[in-house]
Amino acid sequence: MLQKIIRRALATVVVLIGVSIIAFLLVRLAPGDPAKLMLPDTATEETIQAMREKMGTDKPLFIQYLTYMKNVLKGDLGTSYHYNRSCSQLIFSRLPSTAKLAGFGMLLSLCFSIPLGMIAGIKKGSFIDTLSMFFAMIGQSMSHVWLGLMLILIFAVNLKWLPSMGTGTFKHMIMPAIVIGFQFSALATRMVRSGMIDVLQEDYITATRAKGISKFKVYTKYAFKNALLPVVTVVGSQVGAMMSGSMVIETVFSWPGIGSLTTQAIYNRDYQLIQSILLISATIFVVCNLLVDILYTFIDPRISFN
Amino acid sequence: MNSRTLFRRIRKSSFFLIGIITVLIIVTLAIISPMIVAHDAYIGDLELRLKEPEGFAGGWEGYILGCDPLGRDVLTRVLIGSRASMLIALTVVGITLVTGTILGLISGYYGGLVDMCLMRLCDILMATPGLLLAVCVVAVLGSNFVNLIIVLSITGWVRYARLVRGNVLAIRNSEYIQASRVLGAGNAHIILTQVLPNITTPLIIQASQQFGNVILIEAGMSFLGVGVPISTPSWGGMISAGREYIATAPWVVIAPGVALMITVLAFNFLGDGLRDVLDPKNKN
Repeated sequence: MLQKIIRRALATVVVLIGVSIIAFLLVRLAPGDPAKLMLPDTATEETIQAMREKMGTDKPLFIQYLTYMKNVLKGDLGTSYHYNRSCSQLIFSRLPSTAKLAGFGMLLSLCFSIPLGMIAGIKKGSFIDTLSMFFAMIGQSMSHVWLGLMLILIFAVNLKWLPSMGTGTFKHMIMPAIVIGFQFSALATRMVRSGMIDVLQEDYITATRAKGISKFKVYTKYAFKNALLPVVTVVGSQVGAMMSGSMVIETVFSWPGIGSLTTQAIYNRDYQLIQSILLISATIFVVCNLLVDILYTFIDPRISFN
Repeated sequence: MNSRTLFRRIRKSSFFLIGIITVLIIVTLAIISPMIVAHDAYIGDLELRLKEPEGFAGGWEGYILGCDPLGRDVLTRVLIGSRASMLIALTVVGITLVTGTILGLISGYYGGLVDMCLMRLCDILMATPGLLLAVCVVAVLGSNFVNLIIVLSITGWVRYARLVRGNVLAIRNSEYIQASRVLGAGNAHIILTQVLPNITTPLIIQASQQFGNVILIEAGMSFLGVGVPISTPSWGGMISAGREYIATAPWVVIAPGVALMITVLAFNFLGDGLRDVLDPKNKN
């Protein structure tokens, strides 16, 4: 077991090195001389040359990468030229805000999709089942931007129940959390439903029913746990989807997280910050997937890393 | 599978029927839209600025879905805007389907070092959140149609490669492939005539679902200003431009959003329907 976990962790390290190469090359792909970008247009050739040497862009690409990695491992991701602050500081000051939103969104969608998926699975072919499948389809087909704007139109503009943007109170969090969790709830409903259908055909469920245990208890105590297992596997991949979604959602709702920081970095052409966000986001995503995989082998001993 | 079985399954799958009919309607509209629209999609009349939808009161020449902040007819722009989405999705799906399949075939059939390198590359690309990577790359390279298609293709082929590789591994050592080899067939012959036909079904299903996905990602990127250039009408761009007017003129945002949702929904229905119809495990 431990050996497998170590092997899986090593594979993660390889992936992270690959991601760091992509993030590193990304900035080098940017048109123009990075040294010129840091200086005003009036800078002389000597000043630019001095800046190149200071930034290390006059050295071979491979050496530049090694220097970059050395700094990254020391926790230095470079300086955002727009904010004139260290990228890591900027990112980590915004991270809790996004994590709170994503966490709340995930919780909301689980509270909604688990009961819905269970009922749909138990009453296969019923009206609720059709409804849940339709919801799952819609969830995969709706754009984050549009869903967010429609919620604003209904709950902020017309009903005036919720604030349309900003942060501070719990009310501010409801709409963005619904949007960020929407896709996941569609997926989770689908998985709980099919998990439930599979589990209910198992012999041990028939056996518990034969023993005279009530239907309700069978569903909630025995079937539920096993139907929930597949959902755990997608939680990891959903972290990535939520990161992607957060860019758009935080922009729509003016939520001060990583997503809106990314959007601003793009508007400002703040390449160093874009690079750092890419690296940090990918690291979080990969580590979450690793943790989910490890967790899964503990929850379900039948599964191995192979 | 004979044609009678196929027809029976098509008739039974309401997902497939709804999906294919809607997709055909949307694609037709996208193709003929320049011929049927009543107004100019690019130049508006500022006197008609944010004009309310008038329904069919003015007939086809009227402003059925209202006007946008620049006085352009919303319905016209929704129809013309479908072309950008369709063109990008079609190109990206085409490129990724072909490259992903080729790389997956090589990876699965030959195995060894090539396989290992390609699969690690897949891992790395899968490790970066899709939209984030696409947005970052376009932000650095500059946003235009070509860069958009390149970026979406770079991340898109991975799913096909994995799918193909998995299926190839499953059939690589089956008896009929071994029989071919014994009879003296070369690798290329085996791949093209024995392996490829056996993996087309999952590929078609995957392609149909990716189509909807690409449209959604493109809309998200256009909203963030790194997608389709603003000068070209696109659904994402329209939603982005109408965002400020959500309280006073919601129709500017509602129309392209509904078009987007129906289109993606249609392709997802088609994908699910195709699974019902084509999946050989799904015997009635």
